[in-house]
Amino acid sequence: MPIWNRILATVDEHDSSMQAVRYLAGVLGGSDACRVRIMAVYQAPEPDAHPQQEQRAAAAAQRKQLLLERLEAARQVLVGARIPAYNVSTQLQESGGRTIAETIMAAQRQGGFGTIVVGRRGLSKAEEFLFGSVSNSIVHNATDCAVWVIS
Amino acid sequence: MREAPELLERARELTGRRLKQVRLITDTTEFMNLEPGDVLELQGRRYVLKGSEYEGRFGLDEQPKYWVKRALDWEDGTPKIIKLVFYEEFDMSLGEITVRCYRSPSKEGRILALVKGNPNFMQGITLRDAADNQVRVLDRIHGGPLDQHLQELECDHREYYERHLRRVLSKLLVAFEAIAWLHNQGERHGDVRRDHLFVDRDSGAWSWIDFDYNFEFRQNPYGLDLFGLGNVLAYAVARRDVTHHVVREHYPQAEDALAPDDFSPVIRNRVMNLKKVYPYLPESLNNVLLHFSRGAGVFYERVEEMMAELTPAIAELPQGEA
Repeated sequence: MPIWNRILATVDEHDSSMQAVRYLAGVLGGSDACRVRIMAVYQAPEPDAHPQQEQRAAAAAQRKQLLLERLEAARQVLVGARIPAYNVSTQLQESGGRTIAETIMAAQRQGGFGTIVVGRRGLSKAEEFLFGSVSNSIVHNATDCAVWVIS
Repeated sequence: MREAPELLERARELTGRRLKQVRLITDTTEFMNLEPGDVLELQGRRYVLKGSEYEGRFGLDEQPKYWVKRALDWEDGTPKIIKLVFYEEFDMSLGEITVRCYRSPSKEGRILALVKGNPNFMQGITLRDAADNQVRVLDRIHGGPLDQHLQELECDHREYYERHLRRVLSKLLVAFEAIAWLHNQGERHGDVRRDHLFVDRDSGAWSWIDFDYNFEFRQNPYGLDLFGLGNVLAYAVARRDVTHHVVREHYPQAEDALAPDDFSPVIRNRVMNLKKVYPYLPESLNNVLLHFSRGAGVFYERVEEMMAELTPAIAELPQGEA
């Protein structure tokens, strides 16, 4: 059974996700009533796109580093808003072949998070059609938790 | 590579050309240097080259594809298509969207192995040359692309709708099911287009060809394939690409009724709400097309979702010819 004050906030390479974290900091700032897990989903570079092993390893390292930096920046935003550091944790989660939204939903279920916080990038219809929308997918598939979509 | 005079007679016999020399090629890395009459030797099998293939869809812009060769099997003379290793990475424009695209010989080789014996896909094998290049040797399909097949039906659209559309979409449904199956194996076609669906004149099978494109789509892994399927479906329903220009030229009575939501979200001048152009189309079929329009509230994410709505829609079409 998800617990309402366990919050899963997601970050990625887009500024909209940091915007969502800043919003969360504004809402929760100064409170020790919630525990926040900040999660970034790592998707390994596809071998077809990077056939050379070294090239693929370099792309993977670069991608992971970017996400780790995002996680730390988000953590500092929350701690800087006087949310106790012991209530804020970070997680770099490998997707393992799943989509980003599927990975987030799996983490929500596994961790019993009662609230998911995601940013919305403001995709055009064409982008949404081709690339899909993480926030839309989470809103459509979430059944036992609240979803905050921050535009 | 070496010259092999003893090959000359057989190569002449197979190609019907007065070749002056024949080279036996074991390393295909420098594919630009290959010429008609050259004999490729790949893992003990031989193929004599006839020439390069051309990109056949764009009329005057036709360009030779030097990494794709027409060839004949050395043993029995059956026609083959030989795809040599050519890596490229480029931006593909889809309307206003740019997508990073990769050509991957290993992906195509993997899918060829996966679809072996499946008539819904082109057939072939992957052989290694002396430099370990993954060369794909494909069976040539005796037929042409879907658009050519549909154009051969001489009738106006109303007659096409009443006599042929049910059969055409029933065949198309099988081809869509094949793509759904591919997705369920964790693979994407990568370049779903109407000229990548071939109609075999001998067997009647509709087979997807060319699987070597790939993309890194993080959230919607099958989005590009679905976009292609939507375009193929719209083409098959209308038997043409229906653009704003086509409506103005040929269906002026429909032009005023068109709204921005009736068009593709990606190709902005392509009409997806075809019922406004062909009013006799059933709602159920048009509703499937509307999922590919700008006005759609929810887009399909899986082929199965489309098939679940397309199957009953086909059952509502006029019986037509078997």
